Amino acid sequence: MSLVRQSWLLAKNDLVQELRDLEMVMTAAFFTLVVLVMFALSFAALPAADQTLAVPGMLWLAIAFVGALTLTRIFDREREADTLRAVLTWPVDRVAIYFGKLGVTLLVVTGCGALLMPALALLFPAAEVFLERPLESATLLVLGCVAYCAVGTLFAAGLATASGKNVLLSVILYPLTSPALIFALVATRALLEGHPALTTYLGQLAALDAMLVALASWLFEPVLLGNVVKPVRSAPRRRPMKE
Amino acid sequence: MLARLPLVLFAAAALAIPYSVQRIFLHTGIEKKMGTVQKIFYFHVPLAWIMMALAVACGIAAAIQLRRRSQLAESISIATGELVLITGLAVLVTGPIWGHATWGRAWTWDARQVSTGLLWLIFAAFVLLRRYGAAGSERLAAALAVFGAVDVPVIYYAVKIWKTTHPSTDVVGSLPPQMWASLWPALGALVCVTLGLLLVRIRQEQDQAGLDEAWIALDTGGK
Repeated sequence: MSLVRQSWLLAKNDLVQELRDLEMVMTAAFFTLVVLVMFALSFAALPAADQTLAVPGMLWLAIAFVGALTLTRIFDREREADTLRAVLTWPVDRVAIYFGKLGVTLLVVTGCGALLMPALALLFPAAEVFLERPLESATLLVLGCVAYCAVGTLFAAGLATASGKNVLLSVILYPLTSPALIFALVATRALLEGHPALTTYLGQLAALDAMLVALASWLFEPVLLGNVVKPVRSAPRRRPMKE
Repeated sequence: MLARLPLVLFAAAALAIPYSVQRIFLHTGIEKKMGTVQKIFYFHVPLAWIMMALAVACGIAAAIQLRRRSQLAESISIATGELVLITGLAVLVTGPIWGHATWGRAWTWDARQVSTGLLWLIFAAFVLLRRYGAAGSERLAAALAVFGAVDVPVIYYAVKIWKTTHPSTDVVGSLPPQMWASLWPALGALVCVTLGLLLVRIRQEQDQAGLDEAWIALDTGGK
């Protein structure tokens, strides 16, 4: 079974469980709404010129907060039911667990970003570009979220195995994701200002995404298990996930 | 010999520091534009170089620790990570002092300032995680150090492009060769101190690990 298929099956398993109670999606969406209201109350009277500077900050700060909230919950089912060990014994590449969780986190965080962008456009005239240039806006949102979630998922996994000290996630996450967030801020500002370098910034953000995903997937197994002893996988023992 | 190496390094530093200070203050000219305050350059720049080198060393040691389960690599990553925090703090204190006297503002959001600040935050998180993390968080801290080392150039570039939309700052221009010549003894003295501290801290961590193993052996042997 290919890595993509393994990752998809693991992500689907999480999504099916999430669809039963929508706990993570609802809390993340509500948190996004609360942050939006707070931004609206704080910055409603901001002059149009200053909005160009403030809106990228609002967008990516909100995503950083929502991302941290989602990442603290992403391994909760495994931790609460103590099933992480069971997941690790599944006959799949362990990096597929990373990609599966990354996919779910990305879906939730990007979904919240998709709520944020039009809402910011309605609240602040400078952010109307988000609606006027939806393709660039969506690309920017996805690329920024991939960088953030790629790092976050690795450390959320590590903390899930470290006796539940999830409070440390924010301590780790914000300094480590700051370069990705700065790249995203620069690109968002270029989008709002109609700067011609937007494509270059998006390309750089994509390169950063590739580097972070590669590094995180390389480190996932040693972080989660503490060693790199590969399980012996003979052909008959490998079974499809559906069985 | 290896056990005495820290003492040798500290002794060398004890000689190099007074020599370096007298050379900087008595035998090196005063920079025309910045005046006496430029003397901080001889401490600030070597400290910044040492911090960067330690950050990269910490990342490499942490990667080896993760991939090969090496106790020595773990000790090195802890020692270098903590020293990044100390040297980084020194850089973040001396930099704004210099900046305040030269630019009139202690913090100008210059790319180097921000990238140093962010790097310091990453290694502060590393030390916090090592200190307060639960069992198993040493692997997480190692991954953090790897990301921190890889982030060094990324952060610098990110802040640099971010700065393109901000007012530019007149950073220090070129210095005459005799001023650069006074930099090397200061660098040597600081490297000696750093290496001495590094070796002492590595030894402490190795001893700690040895004691832990002895304790476990005693505990399991008693049962």
